[in-house]
Amino acid sequence: MSRYLSNSVSSRSFVGCVVLVLLVSSFVGCTTKAKFSENAVYILKQERDLNVEISPQQRRDIAEVLAGMFGTPDKPNVPKLGGIDIANVLDATQLHVASGPVSSDERGRARGLYREHCAHCHGVTGDGAGPTAAFLNPYPRDYRMGVFKFKSTPKAGKPTHEDLRDILANGIPGTAMPSFKVLPNNEIEALISYVRYLSIRGEVERELAYLTADLVEGERLLDVTGSREDRSEQAASIRETAARVVQKWVDAESQATPIEAPDPERDLVASIKHGRELFYGPIANCVKCHGDSALGDGQKTDYDDWTKELEPINEEALEQFLGLGNFVLPPRNIHPRNLRQGVYRGGRRPIDLYRRIHNGIDGTPMPATLVIGDDAAAGTKGLTKDDIWSLVDYVRNLPYESISLPPVIEQGYQRERL
Amino acid sequence: MRIVFALGLLVVSLLSGSFGYAAEWGDLKLTFVYDGTAPVATSISVNKDPQYCGPFGLVDEQLVVNKENGGIANVIAYIYTRTGPKPAVHPDYAATANAKVVLDNKKCRFEPHVALLRTSQTLVLKNTDAVGHNTNYSTFSNPPQNILIPSSGQVEKKLTLAERLPAKVACNIHPWMTAWLVVQDTPYAAVSNKNGELVIKNLPVGKWTFQFWQESGGYVASVKQDGKATEWKRGRVEITIEPGMNDLGEIKYKP
Ligand code: HEC
Ligand code: HEC
Repeated sequence: MSRYLSNSVSSRSFVGCVVLVLLVSSFVGCTTKAKFSENAVYILKQERDLNVEISPQQRRDIAEVLAGMFGTPDKPNVPKLGGIDIANVLDATQLHVASGPVSSDERGRARGLYREHCAHCHGVTGDGAGPTAAFLNPYPRDYRMGVFKFKSTPKAGKPTHEDLRDILANGIPGTAMPSFKVLPNNEIEALISYVRYLSIRGEVERELAYLTADLVEGERLLDVTGSREDRSEQAASIRETAARVVQKWVDAESQATPIEAPDPERDLVASIKHGRELFYGPIANCVKCHGDSALGDGQKTDYDDWTKELEPINEEALEQFLGLGNFVLPPRNIHPRNLRQGVYRGGRRPIDLYRRIHNGIDGTPMPATLVIGDDAAAGTKGLTKDDIWSLVDYVRNLPYESISLPPVIEQGYQRERL
Repeated sequence: MRIVFALGLLVVSLLSGSFGYAAEWGDLKLTFVYDGTAPVATSISVNKDPQYCGPFGLVDEQLVVNKENGGIANVIAYIYTRTGPKPAVHPDYAATANAKVVLDNKKCRFEPHVALLRTSQTLVLKNTDAVGHNTNYSTFSNPPQNILIPSSGQVEKKLTLAERLPAKVACNIHPWMTAWLVVQDTPYAAVSNKNGELVIKNLPVGKWTFQFWQESGGYVASVKQDGKATEWKRGRVEITIEPGMNDLGEIKYKP
């Protein structure tokens, strides 16, 4: 508990708050000053990658720029970025409702939805390191990288509004992420807005750290003491950076991968058989990670992209990262899905599985496929859309397939047994 | 909006004269030599597709030092123009402005280990191996990709924005596989060969800043030039290019 508080609430104001609660015996109206924490991991990563040092002054500059643009956990701000319709992505009223301590405002509206429902896992800053996080596997999402797994857009695309709705409505089966179906629609909307807010803020923070790492000594991200001209140039470049991040969320709404339904009359038995050959064969290569029996044991030493930032296979680096504080969660390997269990984190509908196989799963080793007639270069190898539907049919059938079926042997060379 | 911006750029670049041809051009050459006894390459334990990948005698490529002459391969250099004008482009580069740059999955490694790409060029990801690979690149400015490339598969990608730093390329199926993708909006980038020699050809004469980077050390910041220890802050150094060959000689470096 203490760790959660130190992460989110400055301890002095917390003590003050407890005193206040004791005095008036009501939590309502008790304003704790919650704080966003710095992305110390990413700053250290910049320093290590580039063999440079980011000074305390430079770190304060980043924090100040962020506070100016995005406000605080109690008083979020929607930055004005000019030329971009940010209101479509971030709604100030919704942010107000989702933010702040759990309470109700002057008009009796519930406030603090995020801290009530999400922060104990995802953290006040959205760093995925709330007080319960360390006990979960997989860890809760750190939104700040701007990467999401289960969505309808291709690699590097943000989730659409509908994707986030689906996640909140259904949760992520097989993980700790619960369903919030019981919440009223307006509260779900407020939470979607707030997830975007934390993600955009977090990604802008990363961009600022990235820019900062490139500055030479004495140069500043935003130099309040500099000439007016310099300052407005610096501010413009910061706004441009932020606008690029926001634009990706705007673009996502029209980026969902178009999907043609499979032929409903297709011979399902033949399609499953074809899918099985592809799964174990050299064109689709699923077997390489998901394993000879699709138990998810073909590749168990890899890490997801969040964990890779900690350089988990470099002992010296890892120790340095873990030494930053207990908000850095110890690395765990990511395992390919055990496809015999029939539990699909991104949804169990055929269209969900089609999306996962077609687009891959962002932030994880699971790759997108090359599609003939689409992105595969003419005359080269790839999968057809029908092939992908066959893979979907096969994956959906896998939980019912006998595990003792003889493995398919690839042509050309013998697969190693693990 | 875009067009207005492009026009603006055009005007700016016309004013700053960078569209005109510089009268004279020069080549830059440096030779990176390991400062100390050359470390031996560590071989990789091939735990995936051992029948196929095992026989290739794969070694770790983070730091490749030539046994004979101490030359360091794969040091990357590019002209640094975050501030200041863009350099004029020598007409010889026009021929390759729209070329295809291939990054192949070959013999269970990436070939080349460092791929140099201009924003006007096209990146071709392919797999000439008999086994499947995935090519997973983590660019910062351009959208990252992670694509399963079957044996004999091929895909083309445009990366339209310059990357500040070389971007890492990995294959998750074969965890030892790594490459680096350098994406620049000028043709003035190069990578050192197996003798540590790095040449950037046909630079417009004048003073330019160059940035140097190496996989295992990040920015090449502490070097010895003519036996004297020198600090290249953020891997950057200003060099005056004169007509003809500008050979800076041996640069001793230890990442
Ligand atoms: C009990 C812990 C827990 C709580 C409470 C929780 N989450 Fe999660 N959440 C998770 C975990 C764990 C994941 C990561 C699952 C994975 O990686 O497969 C996750 C992932 C997510 C994702 C990422 C989905 C994607 O496609 O990548 C979003 C968005 C999200 N949660 C939003 C919320 C919101 C909003 C709330 C509050 C209304 C919330 N979560 C409450 C544990 C939790
Ligand atoms: C490079 C390794 C790799 C390859 C190759 C690979 N996968 Fe995966 N796959 C993964 C990982 C890792 C996950 C788990 C990602 C997560 O949710 O965190 C996964 C998850 C999945 C899921 C679960 C989706 C869900 O909603 O739970 C399915 C289905 C799947 N893969 C199918 C396939 C198929 C079909 C292929 C071949 C076309 C394939 N995979 C190839 C690594 C791989």
